Amino acid sequence: MLTAEELTAVRLSLSVALTASLVALPAGIACGYLLARWRFAGKWILEALVNVPLVLPPVATGYLLLVLLGARGPIGSLLWDHFGIRLAFSREAAVIAAVAVSFPLMVRAIRLAFQAVDPRLEMAARGLGAGRTRTFLTVSLPLARRGIIAGWLLCFARSLGEFGATILLAGNIAGETRTIPLAIYSMTQRPGGLEGSWRLVVVAILLACIAMVASGYLERSRADDVAS
Amino acid sequence: MSHLEFACQHSRSAEFRLDARFETHHGVTALFGPSGAGKTTVLAIIAGLLKPDAGSVVHDGRVLVRTTERRFLPPEKRRIGMVFQDHLLFPHLTVRKNLSYSRRAAASGRKLAALGEVAAALDIEKLLEQFPRQLSGGERQRVALGRALLSQPDLLLLDEPLSSLDARLRYRILDYVERVVRLWDVPVVFVSHSQAEVRRLAQWVVMLDRGRVVQVGTPEEVLGSSDALALQNSAAPINLLRFEKVRRAGDHCFGQLGSQEVFVPLQGPTVREPLIVQFSPRDVILGRHGLTGVSARNQLSGTIRQIVRTDYGVFAAVDVGQIVWAAVTEDAIRELDLQIGGEAICLVKAHSLEVLG
Repeated sequence: MLTAEELTAVRLSLSVALTASLVALPAGIACGYLLARWRFAGKWILEALVNVPLVLPPVATGYLLLVLLGARGPIGSLLWDHFGIRLAFSREAAVIAAVAVSFPLMVRAIRLAFQAVDPRLEMAARGLGAGRTRTFLTVSLPLARRGIIAGWLLCFARSLGEFGATILLAGNIAGETRTIPLAIYSMTQRPGGLEGSWRLVVVAILLACIAMVASGYLERSRADDVAS
Repeated sequence: MSHLEFACQHSRSAEFRLDARFETHHGVTALFGPSGAGKTTVLAIIAGLLKPDAGSVVHDGRVLVRTTERRFLPPEKRRIGMVFQDHLLFPHLTVRKNLSYSRRAAASGRKLAALGEVAAALDIEKLLEQFPRQLSGGERQRVALGRALLSQPDLLLLDEPLSSLDARLRYRILDYVERVVRLWDVPVVFVSHSQAEVRRLAQWVVMLDRGRVVQVGTPEEVLGSSDALALQNSAAPINLLRFEKVRRAGDHCFGQLGSQEVFVPLQGPTVREPLIVQFSPRDVILGRHGLTGVSARNQLSGTIRQIVRTDYGVFAAVDVGQIVWAAVTEDAIRELDLQIGGEAICLVKAHSLEVLG
């Protein structure tokens, strides 16, 4: 059985990952659709911005976020001065770090899902009198739904494992920002903590497996759905 | 009366350029021509799925596109129903939801196409709760036709709607298209490279080749011309006779061709009007005078309109009320002294006539 400290870390991880993946979803759908269907000047810039965190060390991403959102950063100081909001070293910061690191994976899956939708079906909808918005909501979105859920799951799973950016931006505060990876790290640093680390590693493996199997299943069935 | 004016230029690629201009005010117009002639491009421009490089499309006084004025009506505002070659039904929606996808109200002065009526006319009532993947090719095409019709269109475009179906099914679907045109009085422009389809449905034909309009006219005028023959890359021409009225007599019937009658043996218990029969020019024997003592039931007299030499042989077009093509040899032309404007008799064996539909 898990100890109270471990349970808190699991609960916190699930809560951060769930919030991060839900917060990222609307932007992920918008970005994925934009990249899949639209041609516009500066598309490559958007593409690069979305994908950079994928190749950047998460610690570097966290550092950049800290520079931006920290108490003395341009955005951080603005939020503190005008709204009294302190982002760095809070649970919200853990969510932001998770979003930054997992967003490219989500966009990638969603973009592929939209690309798999036959654009002529959207044409057919327009011909039947549906405007762009209705076509998107009733044809593109439902046909891409499995890929979108798969992207959301990937984002969720990646958020569960996020460490580098989180420790820099959100710190390692027990009960506040200490998610599963941070808890494992902390436990390995103290004498007699290896047993707890093991338990959390098993939980992490289980959660990752569930998410990946579900994501893989959705990816496969999407192909059947669109092909029919 | 519907009136469509089309005059557009469009470069799809370096090799293909559409530069077509035509008008039609007929109920059913066919865009006819070989593959790559630009027929589908014309439909896509009318439907608003493609912006032409230059030109205009006007339907019933409504400007759909006019590049000089930078006007382009988006497809959802055009009131043009389109049936695509591969149906393009929404795979995630049931037949009923596909059919009721459009929320347009009927245009003023036009009869409302209601879901129940359309489903009944197309025999798809039993399929309403199924998904497209559960349907056969013919059923999908009927649903696509119904869906286009239920968008209350001012004009219906059919892009080779039958090309994916086998021959027997094809003629059954044509029945449905005819029924739709009759019941809802929707003007139709359809794309086809099949003479049989064009003869069966069209009142007016626009023949395209390599992006240009090469001929316009009635099916008889256009399909009977040497241009049509030259464009048919499928070997010899095919004879298709269309009889608006037929007289039934036991296991056969007679089709009227002006003052002449054509004996047609029937394969089934019913006979449909108009009746269309098909036969090969190689089943036609040409003579200068009527013959007695021969078994051929049909002897049709007419005037030779053309003699065309192709890679597939020599063919004479005889106007017997409609054009009948006969395969001839150079020797026969010489010996019988066949000349354009001269009289000739076409002998056609009754059993070589194949009833379509």
